[in-house]
Amino acid sequence: MTARTFWVPVITVGLLALCGGCAHVAAYDRGRLAHPMMTQDLEGPAAQHVLAVHEGATGGGSLAESGCGCN
Amino acid sequence: MQLKRKQSSLWPLSLLLSALVVAAPAMAGSDVEAPDRPSTDHADTQKKPSSKSPSDPNPLADTATESAAVEMAAYDDTDHVTVFTPSIALGVENVNGGSLHANYLVDVVSAASVDIVSTASRRWQEVRHAGSLSGAYKPHDFGVEVGGSVSNEPDYLSWGGHALVTKDFDEKNWSLYLGYGFSRDTIGRCGGLNDGCTPFSVFSRDLLRNSIEGGADFVIDHASLGSISADVVLESGDQSKPYRYVPMFSPEVAPTVAKGASVDWVNQNRNVERPLEQLPLSRRRYAITGRYARRIGTTTLRLEERLYDDSWGLAASSTDMRWVIELGRRFALWPHARFHVQNSVVFWKRAYVSGLGWDLPEYRTGDRELGPLWTVQGGLGVKWYVGHRENPEAWAFTVAGDEMYTAFLDDLYVKQRGAVLGSLGFEGQF
Repeated sequence: MTARTFWVPVITVGLLALCGGCAHVAAYDRGRLAHPMMTQDLEGPAAQHVLAVHEGATGGGSLAESGCGCN
Repeated sequence: MQLKRKQSSLWPLSLLLSALVVAAPAMAGSDVEAPDRPSTDHADTQKKPSSKSPSDPNPLADTATESAAVEMAAYDDTDHVTVFTPSIALGVENVNGGSLHANYLVDVVSAASVDIVSTASRRWQEVRHAGSLSGAYKPHDFGVEVGGSVSNEPDYLSWGGHALVTKDFDEKNWSLYLGYGFSRDTIGRCGGLNDGCTPFSVFSRDLLRNSIEGGADFVIDHASLGSISADVVLESGDQSKPYRYVPMFSPEVAPTVAKGASVDWVNQNRNVERPLEQLPLSRRRYAITGRYARRIGTTTLRLEERLYDDSWGLAASSTDMRWVIELGRRFALWPHARFHVQNSVVFWKRAYVSGLGWDLPEYRTGDRELGPLWTVQGGLGVKWYVGHRENPEAWAFTVAGDEMYTAFLDDLYVKQRGAVLGSLGFEGQF
C-alpha cells in the first residue's frame, strides 16, 4: 500500500465527516454531552503502555511520550 | 468539546476542555454565549466558592479543585513476561482556566520470553521509572499547554517536552488544536559477563523524535461528540535492540523454515553467524484517528478507529469500542472490545538469508511487532462511586480486566500469544 492510496480516501472521508451533518447545539442543550463518561479516561497508564508495546503501529501521536521501556 | 485522546500526556487537556464546554456558563470569563463577557459568579457551579464572589467571606479562599489517583496494574502473557505497574497521578485545576498535572509510574518487568531463551540467556528483571508534568491555561476560548516527561531504566533514558494550542469556535461547538513534541532517547546495554551496565559514555545510541499533532473536536448533535486528529512522527536514530540477535539461514534452508519453528529446530538448522538486529536509521509515522461518543439513555457508547502508515511499509488499523452502562448513581460498568490488525515492514522475513563472508541483509529484525499480526481484545471495567450522597462521583474505585489474543502470521518460535491485563485504581477530587 502506498502512502497516497492510504491517505487520500482517509482524509477525504474525514473531511466529509467533519464538514457535514453537524448541528449547532446551544450551551443550554448540552446536558447529555456533559456527562463524564463522554470524555473520561477509562484506560489507565499501564493499559496504554501495553498497547504501545504490543502494537507496532502505536508509535504515532505521542507528543510527550518518553521511551517505550522495551529495550 | 473534545473526545479523549489515548495519550496520557493529553488527558488533562481533554478533561479541561470538556469541563470548559460543559460548565462554560459557570466558569469565569467563559460564557459560551459571549466568551469575552466576564463571568457571573452566581452561576458558578464549582464546588468551592469563587474568591471573586462579593458574598464570599474569605476572598483568599482556595478555588482550585485538586484530584489524585492511584492504580496498580499487572500484566502476564503466555510468553513468560510479567509486568507490575503501580502509578500515581495528581492534578489541580483552577476556575480561571489553569491546571497542573503530574504522573509517576514504575514498571517492574520480569521476562523469560522465547526470544531470551533462544539466545541461551537467563530470565531478567528490570525496573522502569517514568514521570510527566504538564500545565495548561485556557481562560477563554484559546488555550495553551506545555509539558515534559522523563523515563529511566538501567539501559534506557528518555526525556521529552511538548506544547499544544487550542481554539474554540462557534460557541464551542467545535475546536481546533495543534501540538508539537520532541523527545530524545538514549539506548544503552546491560548484562554480559559481570551483569552490569555499560555506561552511556562507552556505548549508547540516540533516537530523536519530532511529533506534530493536529485535529478538531466537534459537537455532532445534542447527544454526540466527534473528533478527528492526524499525527506525524519523525524518528531519527538507530532504534535497533542491542540484545536482539537474528538467526540467519542458507539459501537452501530458508524456504523450509516453518511458521512458528521451534528454538531447537532453528538452532540446529541456522548458519553459525547470528548478527544483531539492524533497523533503518529513520522512520516517518503517520496516523489518523476518529472518535465518536454518544449518550444513549443512561449508557454511553464510545468508538475509536485509528489508521496508521509509516515509511517502513507498516500499515495498521486499530478499532476500539466501549459501552458504558450506569447502574444507579453508584456503579458503572463497561464492556470493552478492541481489534488490531497490521501487515509487516517491507524488510520483514521469517528466515533471513546470509551468504559467505558475513554477507548479511542490510536490514533485519526479529521484532514480532514489526511483522504481520492481528490482536483481538475483550474485557470489562467497573467503577464504584463512593463519594458523599451529594456528589458520589468525587471518589471512586475502578477495577478493570482485559484478555488479549494475538496471532503472529509469519514468525519464528511462536504463532500466538495470550495475555491478561488487570488493574485496580482509586481516585478522588477534593
